[in-house]
Amino acid sequence: MFTQFFNWYENRHDYARDWLAKNGGEVMGCFCSYAPEELIYAAGLLPVRMLGAHEPQDVTEPHLFGMFCPFCRDVLAQGLKGRYDYMKGIMISQSCLHLRQSYASWRNHVPNSFSYYLPMPAKVQTEHSRPYLKGEFEKFKKALEEWTRKTITDEALRESAELHNENRRLLHEVYDLRKGPNPKVTGLEAMVLVASSFMVDKRDHNAEIKRILPELQSRTLDGETGSRLMIIGSENDDTAFVKMVESVGATIVTDDHCTGSRYFWNLTEFNGDLMQSIANRYIDRPPCPSKDWEKRTRFPHILQMARDFKVDGAIVIQQKFCDPHECDMPVLIKYLKENDIPCLFLEFDVTVPLGPMRIRVEAFLEILGEEDLF
Amino acid sequence: MAEKTKEYWRWKEYNWHDENADPKDAETITAGVDVGSVSSQAVVMLDGKLFAFSNMRTGSNSPDSARNAMNWALEGTGLTMDDLHYTVGTGYGRVNVPFADRAITEIACHARGGNTMYGSTVRTILDMGGQDCKAIRCDERGKVTNFLMNDKCAAGTGRGMEVFADLLSVPIEEVGDLSLDIDEEPPPVSSTCVVFAKSEASSLLREGWSKKRVLAAYCSAMAHRVVTLLERVGVEKDFAITGGIAKNSGVITRLEKELNLKALKSNYDTQIAGALGAALFGKALVEKQRKKSAV
Repeated sequence: MFTQFFNWYENRHDYARDWLAKNGGEVMGCFCSYAPEELIYAAGLLPVRMLGAHEPQDVTEPHLFGMFCPFCRDVLAQGLKGRYDYMKGIMISQSCLHLRQSYASWRNHVPNSFSYYLPMPAKVQTEHSRPYLKGEFEKFKKALEEWTRKTITDEALRESAELHNENRRLLHEVYDLRKGPNPKVTGLEAMVLVASSFMVDKRDHNAEIKRILPELQSRTLDGETGSRLMIIGSENDDTAFVKMVESVGATIVTDDHCTGSRYFWNLTEFNGDLMQSIANRYIDRPPCPSKDWEKRTRFPHILQMARDFKVDGAIVIQQKFCDPHECDMPVLIKYLKENDIPCLFLEFDVTVPLGPMRIRVEAFLEILGEEDLF
Repeated sequence: MAEKTKEYWRWKEYNWHDENADPKDAETITAGVDVGSVSSQAVVMLDGKLFAFSNMRTGSNSPDSARNAMNWALEGTGLTMDDLHYTVGTGYGRVNVPFADRAITEIACHARGGNTMYGSTVRTILDMGGQDCKAIRCDERGKVTNFLMNDKCAAGTGRGMEVFADLLSVPIEEVGDLSLDIDEEPPPVSSTCVVFAKSEASSLLREGWSKKRVLAAYCSAMAHRVVTLLERVGVEKDFAITGGIAKNSGVITRLEKELNLKALKSNYDTQIAGALGAALFGKALVEKQRKKSAV
């Protein structure tokens, strides 16, 4: 049922090249889920978030510090290896230093004709961030107009914002089907569904979700659900890991990842000024831990989600050296345990050794269940 | 002709069975097979009581290692594999035990086995195995409540100790006592990687260090490394150690000193903890099965 999404995800470069051939315009590479995709799309461009390939590589050593995260390494490797040779523009919405270094190296060492650094504020919790981000979005819009030599009309912007909202609504509908006692979607399918949304024209993505939704509603998955797990952490599209977890007696029913629920969780609320409404959505979205200060809003959000999706336990993953998440994790794990959500902590790298991970996951599942052994 | 090289790393492979027990009297015969990365054990229990076991080196093929260990444990007991009511596979080769009825992780099995070997007061078990090391917390039934494993590398495990025994030409079973036979405790080797630690040891020998002193430095580094793991999971009394390294007094004495806590002693072979736990789970599972079919 999810074949098309898997195809898009696995053949992301073919899709982008086809899109260019069909639509003209350009592909704009985005370094973070804070990139205002609706603006880019309104300029007639295809916004694509670059993800890694989960393969060992040796091209990023001269560019990134040893203690920078595997994700920023894997993403930059894709550029340096020429995998995105059809992509002319890149942009980053500031979230962390590691990814910013990948952006800077890409800008200097991978051919491109447009690059843009958008200073997404870290302190989204101050009211000053709203007018500030609106202003930055206006500046970005102007830069896009200069590059494409086309004006982005209010009408095009509104239409794009609504299209992106529709995608968010549809992704919610699919996630809702995981709340019941027999989830209709596996964690692997959900992961690829959201990740493919980063790579595909929202018109195509929306149409495909709408096509499968009726059938999905009445679907029964083969095999037992087992333990209901939530997966929490930074970027994660390690499909091999999720597949392994779901093969040993568990189903991942929800997540808090920037490549998962954080990407689409909240919608743009259109109140008055259009650009302000769009900016507000990015200020108000479930935050990356790098932007969750001083008030910690992530924790109650994650707990509420765990309860809504009736999870038995959580796998907390950490991309090695990801400082914002690493700083959160001890407190987050303590908080979840205090609220009766057992946690398993795992550290991820570009490639994840499945054997050693498997024993940890199985032992965790034995803690959650297996009363029959005693 | 070259003299045959002595393999100093070789530890004693053996089997044992209780001559006084008669399997014919048993209602439930269960077995556990622990196919580890370095060693394999099979345990046979009669109504939850240890009857026979074997302890041998793991070969290159998990199913064969499991079969060999099982056959060796059954040798001379009058039992065959067909007499086993339930068999649980565990260890890193747990999914490759063809005759097992179920696979359970060695983390759960070591906690359950440790509970029987050391008593129900055990709350923290350190399994120091061939290629990994696990700090396990458990309740009074031997059910795991939390655990941590070494990641990154295999320093502080049995295989590392084997490498050192070979390097220094000291039989592995004598390493512990020799490492304690020193006048003054040397600083631990600084590298945690087995290969780098080996290079470091070679240069220490060249500097004129005695073998005993080098062994002390290595045992001490190993102890320190696992203490870090234990502290992350939190050590609660009572504390017990399973696995092959539990037999190494040099590591254990230093570990106890650093933790300021004595590990419990047991009459069981510490290497069979996993297989023992597996056989005990087998008993619980077969009894539940019988109850179900009786209803």
